[in-house]
Amino acid sequence: MNNFKIKNNSIRWVIALKEEAQVILDHYKLKLVNEKTIYPIYKNAQETHWLIISGIGRNNAAASTAYLYAYSNASKYTSWINIGIAGAGKGNYGDLYLVDKISNYNKKKSTYPSTLPKTTLPKMHLFTSDIPISDYSTYELIDMEGSAFFDIASKLTSKEFICLMKVISDGPKNDIKEITKSKISNLIKVNLFNIIDVVSYYERLSQEEFQIIDKPKLFNEIKSKWHFSTTQSFKLETLLRRIEIFCNRKDIEKIIKNCETSNSVIHVLSSKIKNNLVNWSKF
Amino acid sequence: MIETIYVEEVIKNHPRTKFILNKFKKSRIILINKYGEIFNKRNQNFRIQKANPSIILAHKKDSFVLPAPEGFGIGSSKNFYFSHMYNCIYDCRYCFLQGMYSSANYVIFVNFEDFDIAIKNTIKKNINSKLTFFSGYDCDSLALENVTGFAKHILSIFRTYTQTEIEFRTKSIQKQPFLSLNPIKNVILAYSLMPELMSNSLDNKAPSISKRISVISELASKGWKIGLRFDPLIHGENWKELYKELLENIYKNISPDCLHSVSFGTLRFPKRMFKDIFKLYPNEPLFTSPLSLNNKMISYDIEIEEEMTSYCKSLSLMYINEDRIFKCSI
Ligand code: SF4
Repeated sequence: MNNFKIKNNSIRWVIALKEEAQVILDHYKLKLVNEKTIYPIYKNAQETHWLIISGIGRNNAAASTAYLYAYSNASKYTSWINIGIAGAGKGNYGDLYLVDKISNYNKKKSTYPSTLPKTTLPKMHLFTSDIPISDYSTYELIDMEGSAFFDIASKLTSKEFICLMKVISDGPKNDIKEITKSKISNLIKVNLFNIIDVVSYYERLSQEEFQIIDKPKLFNEIKSKWHFSTTQSFKLETLLRRIEIFCNRKDIEKIIKNCETSNSVIHVLSSKIKNNLVNWSKF
Repeated sequence: MIETIYVEEVIKNHPRTKFILNKFKKSRIILINKYGEIFNKRNQNFRIQKANPSIILAHKKDSFVLPAPEGFGIGSSKNFYFSHMYNCIYDCRYCFLQGMYSSANYVIFVNFEDFDIAIKNTIKKNINSKLTFFSGYDCDSLALENVTGFAKHILSIFRTYTQTEIEFRTKSIQKQPFLSLNPIKNVILAYSLMPELMSNSLDNKAPSISKRISVISELASKGWKIGLRFDPLIHGENWKELYKELLENIYKNISPDCLHSVSFGTLRFPKRMFKDIFKLYPNEPLFTSPLSLNNKMISYDIEIEEEMTSYCKSLSLMYINEDRIFKCSI
């Protein structure tokens, strides 16, 4: 694992083909990382967006998702995006669909990704197959990676942070054999505006989570002045979170100023909470 | 607006499924095998789901009626509860559901008839005891009544078994089916209340206290028996004035004859549950309260609890008899 610092609004992309990824790489200004990696990995300068080219198939999708997680030091609050082309027995050629149900041959149980709220984008059921399918009649969307991506990503984060988007590239009226590299890039390109819109929701989601879990403002400062064990650190963090809602920094500094040990810091902070009379008219 | 409704395959043609789906014509319907595939799986974020919950229509297989936890009763020798739904459309910050389930989606069980059988069997098995059933322990019993019609359905049992009480505990201002029915003497409509100032901050998405009081007064004047549930009691600046104002306002608006019971409950969380809820909402004013670990529970200190309970009780005693006042202690 690398020591990249976890950033706010953290996004990880898992995309099967370079042609599918090109528009995303250009838009988010992602550059190939400067190291030899098992799968090609790209990132932006701020290290908030990372993208891996997985290659085709479920094994590649699963392995590359796990690899990107470890390589980019993703967090529990990182959002994961899978986008690509898909065959479809329904819908319109070239349109973008969100996925809210996934099935495959091997598993009896389907899985159910969340989708972003209040979107006008249509949603469909995705079937992930290990072989190309030419009979589209029984399926909505068909791809070769989605279920494996979701299975692994949902072990790394909550399902609310995972998004699968598919652009219809072939179907009963559009022969799979007619797909070319430039057609693939173009299919993603014409949907870029919608893709950015969807991803901005996941950026916000991730950012909000990071803000919630951010350490209280005085935490590190206090820890540097007294020695806290792991249990004490946890107590300190909880107490500071609670106190910072009704007490400003100066007041907190004042009450702990004369403490000689970490125990007494915890004691005075606990007393502060114990004696707090919540002023409900303020909230 | 409910965007997605998951429907268990086995009940997709159930008349109640169709009845409910008919109310959500714009929602996307997704068929599933078992509600457990969606509900309460690991790796879900309750807070994010709460912003946009889905409905899950399901078939309940067992455990239709369960013994109520110790300390939940209002005078009967035996207490039971049942829940036709898991989760709630409101978002009270002290609610134990947010620490109990990892999913905020609403599960609605459509096989009401199986609840009927289990309730009747429980009554028959306990024929010599005074029983109270509590509807909606895992949800608000009336908040989604206009969608489910569960209360209306279940009332018919209690019209027959007049010696058995049922309590619908709620914060909703749902007046039906009660307004259009004749009162049933063993049915208690129990309202959870706290001073408006606290409720504004804590009872997210729930109707205001003044609206609740106005509905209570309307249903009471129609003859329905009312329960007042000051549960949890919330501490804070001027708590005495705030509770005095609330209690006086209620007792002035509702004839004491309509009051079945009044209960006071303290704010308590099992340690683990508190940790989970705090993790979800670390910046909530509720957690600036003087809550600490007492007897494996996170609560106010016993002195605060007792002071609040006895203060509210003594105010209530000016209006009703002691035998109708209870302490809820779960
Ligand atoms: S009304 Fe009751 S069940 Fe609903 S959120 Fe509030 S406390 Fe929970």
